[in-house]
Amino acid sequence: MTPALEIVSLSRRFGGLLAIDDVSFSIARGGLSALIGPNGAGKTTLFNAITNIFPPTSGEVRFMGQSLAGIAGDKLARLGLVRTFQTARVFPGMTVLENALAGACLRARSNAVAQMLRLPSARAEERKLREQASALLDLIGLSAFRDAAATDLPMGAQKNLEVVRALMADPAMLLLDEPAAGLNDSETADLAALLTAIRDCGVTIMVVEHNMSLVMGIADQVVVLDAGRLVAAGAPADIQRDARVIEAYVGGSV
Amino acid sequence: MLGFLQIVIGGLSQGGVFAAVALGFSLVYRVTGVVNLSQGAFCVLGAMAMYYFQVAWGWPTPLAAAASIVAVVAFGLAVGATTFVPAVATLPISSTLVLTAGLLTFFGGVALIVWGNQPYALPPFSGEAPVSFGQLRVPTQGLWLAGGVAAMIAALWWLVYRTQLGRALQACAENAMAASLMGVDVKRMMLLSFGLAAAIGAASGLLVAPITSLQFDSGDFFTTSGFVAVAIGGMGSFAGAVVGGLLLGVAEQIAAYYVSSLFANTLALLLLLAMLLWRPNGLFAAGPARRVDVRSEVVVHRAPIRLANGRMAGLALALVAVLGVLPLLPLPNGVLPSLTIAMILFISVLGLDVLMGWTGQVSLGQAGFMAIGGYTAAILATNYDWPPLAGVAAGMALSLVCALLLSVVTGRLRGHYLALATLTFGLLVDSLTVGLVDVTGGPSGLVGVPSFGVAGFDFDTPASMYWLALALAAVFVFTLEGGMRSQFGRGLQAVRTDQLAAAALGVNVPRVKLAALCVSAALASLSGSLYAFNFHFLSPEMVATPRSFEMIAMLVLGGEGTLVGGLFGSLVLTLLPTLVQGLAAYKTMAEGALLVASFLYLPEGLFGRFVLWLGRIGAKPANPNGEPAAKAAT
Repeated sequence: MTPALEIVSLSRRFGGLLAIDDVSFSIARGGLSALIGPNGAGKTTLFNAITNIFPPTSGEVRFMGQSLAGIAGDKLARLGLVRTFQTARVFPGMTVLENALAGACLRARSNAVAQMLRLPSARAEERKLREQASALLDLIGLSAFRDAAATDLPMGAQKNLEVVRALMADPAMLLLDEPAAGLNDSETADLAALLTAIRDCGVTIMVVEHNMSLVMGIADQVVVLDAGRLVAAGAPADIQRDARVIEAYVGGSV
Repeated sequence: MLGFLQIVIGGLSQGGVFAAVALGFSLVYRVTGVVNLSQGAFCVLGAMAMYYFQVAWGWPTPLAAAASIVAVVAFGLAVGATTFVPAVATLPISSTLVLTAGLLTFFGGVALIVWGNQPYALPPFSGEAPVSFGQLRVPTQGLWLAGGVAAMIAALWWLVYRTQLGRALQACAENAMAASLMGVDVKRMMLLSFGLAAAIGAASGLLVAPITSLQFDSGDFFTTSGFVAVAIGGMGSFAGAVVGGLLLGVAEQIAAYYVSSLFANTLALLLLLAMLLWRPNGLFAAGPARRVDVRSEVVVHRAPIRLANGRMAGLALALVAVLGVLPLLPLPNGVLPSLTIAMILFISVLGLDVLMGWTGQVSLGQAGFMAIGGYTAAILATNYDWPPLAGVAAGMALSLVCALLLSVVTGRLRGHYLALATLTFGLLVDSLTVGLVDVTGGPSGLVGVPSFGVAGFDFDTPASMYWLALALAAVFVFTLEGGMRSQFGRGLQAVRTDQLAAAALGVNVPRVKLAALCVSAALASLSGSLYAFNFHFLSPEMVATPRSFEMIAMLVLGGEGTLVGGLFGSLVLTLLPTLVQGLAAYKTMAEGALLVASFLYLPEGLFGRFVLWLGRIGAKPANPNGEPAAKAAT
């Protein structure tokens, strides 16, 4: 079976700065992998290169065997690759439930006219999506706030809502940029449970994360970047013992 | 050849004013990131002050000019400090842009009260006799204008690039947050730029007033011409403002001479649309574009305005019942026709709400689609004996085609440029309705439009027309409400606030924008057709750009993103001048002032505030231990 995501000697240059330097690795389907590295290692840049927000200068990204060259924005999501952003980007002016439902825009089968005329098919679909969104909000402990303004939630809850929203798009693979940033310990535990549950449903997940206990607790593959280069990739236990990783983080020999 | 040179000289002197207005745009844009659409009004205010000081009170010209500039700057600073600067600090850029359109209307309204609606011309500074250079004859006022504009450019250049104050202004332009951390008083700099822009506007206004006569709404013309100039030259570039202004002036004069003066404007606007397609940042946009993207993502806290289904249905039924009974009551004279107008305009405002309130796409050209729908239906029904309904359908079809064409231009544009492209579109339609005399009847309008009728029934009384508009409005609100509460509406709202995040979720952003534009264009077109059938007459100014601004005021006053809200804005702005006859002269000013004030003090609008209030009183019984509920029980 082809891997979910293959990164093949990918580089990204900003002027004189080589932010990503010839990085290659692949992510197996159905896994939960973590991309870690010190500040400035190029983790978010790699996400942006994969999703063509800043397209790669050279190299290739393949998703489920298909090259992503020139595929950006909504087309990625239609292929099944959905990402979240480093800062929470819930939609203001919408309730929590509406935010979750907004994730399912690309799944709407009924057209706008059917929805406007409240045709039975459109209403049935709406009911189904609402049930699904409510169940997910329940899972992450946000159902009590479903009719509150999304921007009224604390930052951690907004980030969890973003994960729910991304999930509503029914992705084959989720790219989550620092989902645990700004979360307190109990919110992080909720998130860990949610991520494991998502993985168990067959969705491939890659997270950029700083929270080591979260990463080591739930990831089954860890990719380490430092200064734009791939340092190591492997199981969490191996990564923890890897001298190069320790060097990158602690900055000296052991 | 000589004739051509003479035309070019005429164009340069006209272009000098455009350049000065463009300079004001660029200055404020550089410091605040907002295109201040009220810029053109300062020209009129300057000329108006000059008229009183020089002509009415007989002050010597230099003293009168200085006093005029000081007076306009003082007025500009007062208005800027209370409206523009707070708006830049608290509102998203698109709202601030629309707020400045409100200021333009407000200033125009002030001029209307002071000056009335006749045109004024000032005496030339140094006599009527032109100077001759060989065989070329140049009016002396043209030289004054050229010299004045050159002096302003030089002074501005010196101020911005050679003084400490200028460095502070530039710092605000680069990064307002960092500038404030460095101790620059950003708000003061914004106000300063606004005041300087007022001075530039006043000076150019009093310089040009002896050449072109001005009236209360000439500010619209200066704003649009200056805007075309600045968009050609490149927003924020001083050199671009000057080159753009002169180019536009010359191009318009040449077009007026060799083609037709009625089409001079059309050609300039086509030039601009081509420019926006070819080089959206203008000729002189050197260096990286201003990071509008970052600023536009400043998250604005907006409370979702939602009513539970049951309450919504109850409220809607009550509203339709009350509105439906109104014509049967003994109403004061003129109220029923006003109600009909309000209801017809509401259909257009409803479309604007889908586009602006729900999708966040600022449109300053909504009246353009009204004009297309109005003229198409009226011409087909009047001159070709089409059934009115077929005319309406043809108008809507033509509007949708125009919306598709417009989206080709706007699809590549964001923020300001998008709003300004829609303004260009509206102005283009304006110029065509005036220019195509054989088709539209030109400035004097199209007469003899029949009543609207379907299957033998004529809607030829005010009440029948009112009920027709009410029924249509009710049906549209009901269907759109259904769409807004489904995935269609959520797609629109996702695009409204965060296009990047929306796209990451698989929302096809260009398609969503196009859908909203089409809904908006179709409703505006229908509203325009009904408008023509209702009056049995249609003239360009009934569906011109000020109408677009008026409909924005109605929407914002009533409440954006609420669908029904626009009705209240439309009722208030249409009925108030009818009910209080003495207010008619203040209508324009009040429209501008209400738009500005609702942005600043009532951002959710009348209806939005009502719904939020209902939500609060509805929330109380849900909390059995709450104090208010217990008090209510006793």
